[in-house]
Amino acid sequence: MIRNKNMKRASLVSAVIATGAMVLSTLPAQAATPGVTASEIKLGISSPLTGSAGLSYGKVPGAMKAYFSYINANGGVYGRKINLISRDDKYLPTLAATQTTNLVLKDNVFALVGALGTATHSKAYKAAALAKNNVPDLFINTGFSGFTDKTKYPTTFMVLPTYAMEAKVIAKAIKDNFPGQATFLVAQDDEFGSDGVAGFKTAGHTFSAAPILYPQGSMTAARAEAALTALGATPGKPVVVLFGTTDVTATILKAAEKLALTTKFTWYAGSVGADANTLLALGVKPTTIDGVITASFMPDAKDMTDPYVQQFADINAKYNKGITFDNYVLAAMNSAMLTVQALRAAGKDLTRAGVISAIENKGANFASAGLVPLGYSPTSRIGYNGYWVAQLNAKGEAKPYGGKLVIYSTDSGAGAVSVSTFVRPTMPKNGIPTNS
Amino acid sequence: MSKQVSTKKRTLLFVAFGWVLLLLGDRVGDLELYQGSFVATYALAITSIILLTGYSGQLSLGQSALMAVGAYAGALTIFNAGLHPIIGLFMAALVAGVFGLILGLIAARLSGPYLAGTTLALAISLPTLANQFPILGAEEGIVFDVGLPPARFGEDFSQYKWFFWISALASLIMVWFIANLLSTKYGRTFRALRDNPIAAELSGINVGRLKVTAFAISSGVAGLSGGLLVMLISGVSPSAFPLSLSFALLGGAVVTGLYNLKGVILGGLVLVAIPEIADSLVSRIGGSEGFITTLPGFLVSALLILAVVFTPNGPGHLIKRHHKK
Repeated sequence: MIRNKNMKRASLVSAVIATGAMVLSTLPAQAATPGVTASEIKLGISSPLTGSAGLSYGKVPGAMKAYFSYINANGGVYGRKINLISRDDKYLPTLAATQTTNLVLKDNVFALVGALGTATHSKAYKAAALAKNNVPDLFINTGFSGFTDKTKYPTTFMVLPTYAMEAKVIAKAIKDNFPGQATFLVAQDDEFGSDGVAGFKTAGHTFSAAPILYPQGSMTAARAEAALTALGATPGKPVVVLFGTTDVTATILKAAEKLALTTKFTWYAGSVGADANTLLALGVKPTTIDGVITASFMPDAKDMTDPYVQQFADINAKYNKGITFDNYVLAAMNSAMLTVQALRAAGKDLTRAGVISAIENKGANFASAGLVPLGYSPTSRIGYNGYWVAQLNAKGEAKPYGGKLVIYSTDSGAGAVSVSTFVRPTMPKNGIPTNS
Repeated sequence: MSKQVSTKKRTLLFVAFGWVLLLLGDRVGDLELYQGSFVATYALAITSIILLTGYSGQLSLGQSALMAVGAYAGALTIFNAGLHPIIGLFMAALVAGVFGLILGLIAARLSGPYLAGTTLALAISLPTLANQFPILGAEEGIVFDVGLPPARFGEDFSQYKWFFWISALASLIMVWFIANLLSTKYGRTFRALRDNPIAAELSGINVGRLKVTAFAISSGVAGLSGGLLVMLISGVSPSAFPLSLSFALLGGAVVTGLYNLKGVILGGLVLVAIPEIADSLVSRIGGSEGFITTLPGFLVSALLILAVVFTPNGPGHLIKRHHKK
């Protein structure tokens, strides 16, 4: 037993120090942030490069790389060069899960950007344990509203508005521009379509007949013709809303051409299903496309008067040689620009938590080509939260409907659709962000 | 006739192999554990093909559809009925087995290219059909969550190690069961059926019933591997079971050797390793994105040709032959 008071104190202190040392020695040393060195930031993307989805979305990683190369050539992000590692998931959930896990565990990326697809990414998110490792999951390319759930996807940030928002905006635009006309809905029968149907319901819009729902890949020319023949008996000029992918829009428009019903209806194609280049490539006549109404949140990739579009097209010509500049390239470069701003906003001492907090607190003010506001906040993971109503012309260009740009803004829930006075931030000089 | 391994010896062998995996699992990283889980799952799926094609002589191109049936059954058991994941995996095997039994009864009169055609149609249509039923969660599918590893394993016990334990253990038990089955009279009658159905029938074997039995057991095995596969990706959806999966597994079975269970791990290893090898090859020699994406397919094709030319009965057979000399 220790009788001396000083000795007792000394032994107590040494015991505390010893215990402390033991605890500290068992704790791992403060690990450096994965994927970040003094000269490099490693990012990863899992998306379809091959397969049917690869045909249209295969351009995304290349376009993002091109923008990052441009930034790297102009000093990088606080001196660090961005290295984007791209893996092909063929749009298959199993591959998305393994490729995303590879990106996190093998390639050691700092964050993921631009992951594509709902079924694929929801699996990948869990398989790669993104939440547990706090891996930022930036600007995903899906509009499924489930990804806005912060408890399920704590590190995910959307960029596309949700499909529910789009449906609400279309409902409002129909009410404002085509009062009294019969309305019909043709929608894909999956989470994409059901998100939309729910959105119309929230907006209080009732269609003149029950929605025509079809499983992905099942809309044949015969089925489209049968549906249009039935709708053709409606008096007036009914509005037909097409809430599906562009190939289905093409099938339906071609059926209308065959039945000489193109002018019988006002066509309203959702943003996912109105890629003009694809419609023309699939054989829809320019005269049919002329007048199709759609919704968009981005400027048109053909609009070279837009400074962002012009800048991205220049970057594409220089760093993405041989690839045609279109809406997919534009959207991918825009997400890359948002990524650079997020990395800058997190500061020189880059951490995963820092990036997430930077987007939550400063993301709403990031410069971007989008013509509608960004909705990031500590409580919201939604990117663009609105649409402008566009009309395609025979050349496939999207112009503001009625000649005037009207921006509608809303949320995925029960909130009203309002006309927004949003003016997007001026583009940083030469498209190189300098924010902090 | 080659000497049969006794059941006892086989059981000891499986237990020893299980121990090796257990020890190995503690010495490798999360990524290797995750890849190992896929190897175990694919090995099990290949077992189901070998049992069906190699032993009972029926050619199925729809193994991915049977895996999907098991996967959905397991997911519904866990997610909708709220039952324990072990019951979920058990149901995956059971429901797929019953489905295979019904399908087998319908297809009992079919053989060769007709059966292949029917199962091919199944592989194409079944996953898409899942989109039609809201309870199956459409394109997004339903969650298949086996939960976190038990707390008593400690904090360092990762999700991937847990996956590896479950998939390796389930596969070991199932392959052990099949290996035992094949060394009984069933195995012999299966082989008789494959080599000469008429002679088999003449010697009193009920060919129709035997075919259906083989189909049902094979479906059950495929169902379990389907359940394990979606466990690894935490959820089931139609696109997780593309037609290409059926063909990849069949390719794996050919590399393994259709008449031998010994190389199933090799088959699984090939399916998981080929993309990795392609990846590192490309990063070493450098190449375009198109090169990266086409190389795995090319390697698999080359391996298949080599396997058919040099080891038509699988490397397991080769080892045995070498041993005999």
